[in-house]
Formats: sequence, structure tokens, C-alpha cells
Amino acid sequence: MTVYDTARDTAGDTSSDTRLEDATIAYSKAPSAGQPVLRVERLGKIFGDQNLAAVAHTGPNAGTEKSPDGNSVVAAWDVSFNVAAGEAFGVIGESGSGKSTVMRAIAGDHSSTAGSVWMQRRDGSTVDLLTMTASERRALRVDELSVVYQDAAEGLDLGVTAGGNVADRLTAAGWRNFGQIRERAAELLGRTEVPLERMDDLVRTFSGGMRQRVQLARALANRPPIVLLDEPTTGLDASVAAGVLDLIRSLLEELGIAAVVVSHDFAVIEMLTTRCMVMQHGRVVEQGLTDQLFEDPQAPYTQRLVAAARA
Amino acid sequence: MTPPLTDVETPTQATVATAITEHSERDENVPVLSVRGLHKHFVLHNVDGRRVEGLNGIDLDVRAGEHIALAGSSGAGKSTLLKCIYRTYLPSAGTVTLRSPNGPVELTGLADAKLAAIRGREFGYVSQFLRAEPRRGALDIVARAGIARGMDRETAIEAAAVALRRLHLDESLWDVFASVLSGGEKQRVNLAAGTISPPQLLLLDEPVSALDPANREAALALIADLTATGVAVLAVFHDLDAMDRLASRVVVMRSGRIIESGPPDQVLHHLEGVAR
Repeated sequence: MTVYDTARDTAGDTSSDTRLEDATIAYSKAPSAGQPVLRVERLGKIFGDQNLAAVAHTGPNAGTEKSPDGNSVVAAWDVSFNVAAGEAFGVIGESGSGKSTVMRAIAGDHSSTAGSVWMQRRDGSTVDLLTMTASERRALRVDELSVVYQDAAEGLDLGVTAGGNVADRLTAAGWRNFGQIRERAAELLGRTEVPLERMDDLVRTFSGGMRQRVQLARALANRPPIVLLDEPTTGLDASVAAGVLDLIRSLLEELGIAAVVVSHDFAVIEMLTTRCMVMQHGRVVEQGLTDQLFEDPQAPYTQRLVAAARA
Repeated sequence: MTPPLTDVETPTQATVATAITEHSERDENVPVLSVRGLHKHFVLHNVDGRRVEGLNGIDLDVRAGEHIALAGSSGAGKSTLLKCIYRTYLPSAGTVTLRSPNGPVELTGLADAKLAAIRGREFGYVSQFLRAEPRRGALDIVARAGIARGMDRETAIEAAAVALRRLHLDESLWDVFASVLSGGEKQRVNLAAGTISPPQLLLLDEPVSALDPANREAALALIADLTATGVAVLAVFHDLDAMDRLASRVVVMRSGRIIESGPPDQVLHHLEGVAR
């Protein structure tokens, strides 16, 4: 199949690395100029029978992610990208494209079939997330890698107060002083625009937009270097979604967090990311600068998506 | 498809090392922007795979302090050229070389992340429309643009105020969310943000199209000052008067090619009725 990989990565880069790293230092204020903190290499996930032969019979050309015998689903295959500190990278695609599979593989919500996910840790070391044990990965989720889910019930305990949901992350990171925890939780909720008088209300009583704000406060509680956002505004009313998007954008900008944003919605990807990739039937069909991908899409599938989004 | 390179070459480790020494004393003879053999075609996969020609081999240099105006009728390829340089469009062939403090950078093959890092800082694109972050005021937007180009906060806010005042944007609108401003007001915010602490190269795509005569006058004066301070400008204006006043050279395009180039007084008089 033809892969419209318009991305210029280091391999295809005709210029010198040394020179540009110098430039990077000179523009250290540039949020997108950092070194990769997350590098996904040839990630693959097959659900059902772990039959590698299914790979050849799935993908955009086959028009499906399901194997001919129906026993395997190649949800994602040969997915590679990297994200630098302070950069937001987008993954766009329709339902069944594999975008959420990619996110969940990075998050550690399920195991992967192939590939590696290299992450730079706070101490400067680099680890392949896919080789870590479940408990090691849980530890990572405390303060190094956060996830904001489309469904707040996945990211929050709905039966606990907003403040409690945030405090839980702080205690997990070792905070012990009640007064300080409460103060920090209030500060975080204030930053994500949750009214303070609702801090002690159960999250169950919150609207969708408000729940996403609590999720954000919880996800950012320990200032993780990487945040994964899975359809963070899907299902919200348009005006509420716009407010949450603004908030995400300014938080990412301010805190210099690396983000992977997964969405089917072009507006979300356009607003939050500088680079992105398009997935279809479990494969990457195109990757590039976000504005270029929307103004000058190369792959037939991306052209169709963009035309539909603009119509 | 790529024509032979003339004075542009792909930098290797060796040439980069030399370039760094050479460029440390800002060689004014080196064009800020050098375009060679630039081609662009679009393949419309969903319209029976139709191929549309955008650019058919553009060679163009822009030097510091030079203002080059692109003229030609709609569809001649003027905006396509600007977008291929900024890489909003992906060039099909050819090179776009930007002078940079540490030696030339070839933009068409530059890694995405690296391009994103120098966009807006080493070269800017000012479009017709403001694409502002929502929920930000005019002063904030312009000051942030300055900060992104290395100004400190205080200086940036001061410079933003000067620019907005110069473009006659009513001070009562400075902290109002820019999304609610009128078209002409947004365009002035956009121009101020694009030109504050200007990068060495600016691509201007109809930056004054929505302005009334008085505001247009102020905007043109601001653009004229850019060139006076050494910024290289490549611009598309729909009116000949603006080109006449601002351009050091007018480059006429037709069907994705350059068909004529010269000083405004030589080129513009026979363009009446063509370049609109």
C-alpha cells in the first residue's frame, strides 16, 4: 500500500542535527523545540487470536482491521511517532481506526503485541513501557504519565468528591499534610476552573464539562511530563467543549507538558497540536505538520476526511 | 524534476561548519530566502485523481531589506508560493533555503518538529485572517507573539501597545477577547502580532484586505518600516497602489511561473487590469 508519510523525521532530514540543536538552545522558549520524551516504535496490537498472518490481510487496502477468519482484530500495526517536551501530537481517525488502541497501549491499559514505547523518565533514564510490570506502570501513572479519558468515570471515582479525586493523586505521590493537600487541590481545581464551592461535592453530581475539568486537575496534580488525552471533549455541548479545549491548550502551553491528543474531531486536533497522524483500519495513512495535513492532505483517505470536515 | 542547483546546496557536516563561520558576520549578500526550482502539484484523489498544477518551477531570492510583491491574477500561484515556503503546502520538488544565524536551512526537507520550532521565529507568515487562540485579548495575543520571538514580558507588552496604538486599535478593545472583534480589527491584531519583533523574513498574504482607507494607511506605513529596518518581505497585495508604494521589486506570476520581474514603475503600468 502507499503510505503518505509526509512527515519529515530525522531520517529524511537533509540538514545537520548539530546545527539545529544549537538553534534549539537559542530558542529554548519554543515549546516544541525539546528533545523527544516519548517515542513510539512500530507499535502493534492484535485482539483475539495472536495470528501475525492476519496483518497482511488487514489495513486500509483490505478495508478492514478484522482477519478473514474473523478470529483476530489487528487494531493497530506499525505505528511510529515521537513527541517532544512541551509538544502536543495528534492522532486522528474514525471509530475503529486504532487511535484509542494506540493511546491505551501507551497508557498501559492493555498489553501490546509488537513494538516499543520509549519514555524518558524524570531521572533522565529511558525505559520501554511495554517491558514494565503492571505495578511499575501503575507507579508511573502517579506523576510521570497521566491520562484524561473521554468517559470521566474511567479517570475519576464518581463516588468521591472533586477535592478527594485530586487529593488521591497527591497522597499517592507522598503528600501527607492534610492542610497542604487541601490547599494544593483547591489550587488545581481553581486552575481548571472548577468553582471552589463545589470542591466537596461528589463528582457524580457534576456536569460532563465539569467532570472533564476535575479529570484535568487530577491528571495534572503532580505535574507529569506526559499527558494522554483521549477524546477529551467528545460528548460535551459545543460551547462547553470550546471552554474545555481552551483550558487544555493554555495548560499545555503554560506547563510545557508533552501531550498525545486522540480525537476524531479535526477542530480538536487543529486547536491543540502542531504535528499529527491520521489512522485508518489500524494503520497510519499520513503523518505531518497539522496545518499542512489539513491544508494540503496527501492520502486519499485524509483528503476525504478533510473535505467532509470542511463541508 | 528538480532543476540543477545553482548557488544552493544541501548542507553537509563540512559545509555547515564553514557556514557557521561565514554567517557569524551576517553576510548581506546571502539572500535571506532563496527558492530554486520550486514545483507544486496537487493530486485530487477523490476527484478522479485529477492533477492540478500549482507552481511550475519558481526561482526567487529575497534579500534583507527587500520587499518583493507578487502580482498576477487569481490562480496564478501567489498564495501557493507563500504557503509552499511556509510549508503549509508540501512542495513537490525544488528547494527553499532560509538564511539563519547558524547557516542556511533547507526548509522543504526539514524535520517537522524542527520546522515547527523555527516557524514564526526565524520566518513568519501573516495571513489575511487572525487565527487567534480563543479567550485571549488583543494585547495579550500581540505580546505573546513578541515573547515567542525572544522578547521579555515587559518589553513585549510595551511593544504590543505601541503596535496596536500605531494601527489605531481602540484601547478599550485591547483586553476584549479577539474572537469578538470586527474583521478589520482582527486583521490589525494579526498584523501587529506578525510584525512585533519581526523575524528576518515575513510572508504577507493580503494583510490589509479588510481595512478602511485610514487604517490601511497606518498598516502600509508599518509594513514599509519593516523593510527599512532590514526585514525581507515577500508579499501578496490585491491592489497595485500598495505594491507601488512598498515594493522594491514586483514579480509577476502566471500559471505557476514567474513571467516578469522588475521595479514597480516598470512593471506595474502595464499590469492594470491584470493583477487584481
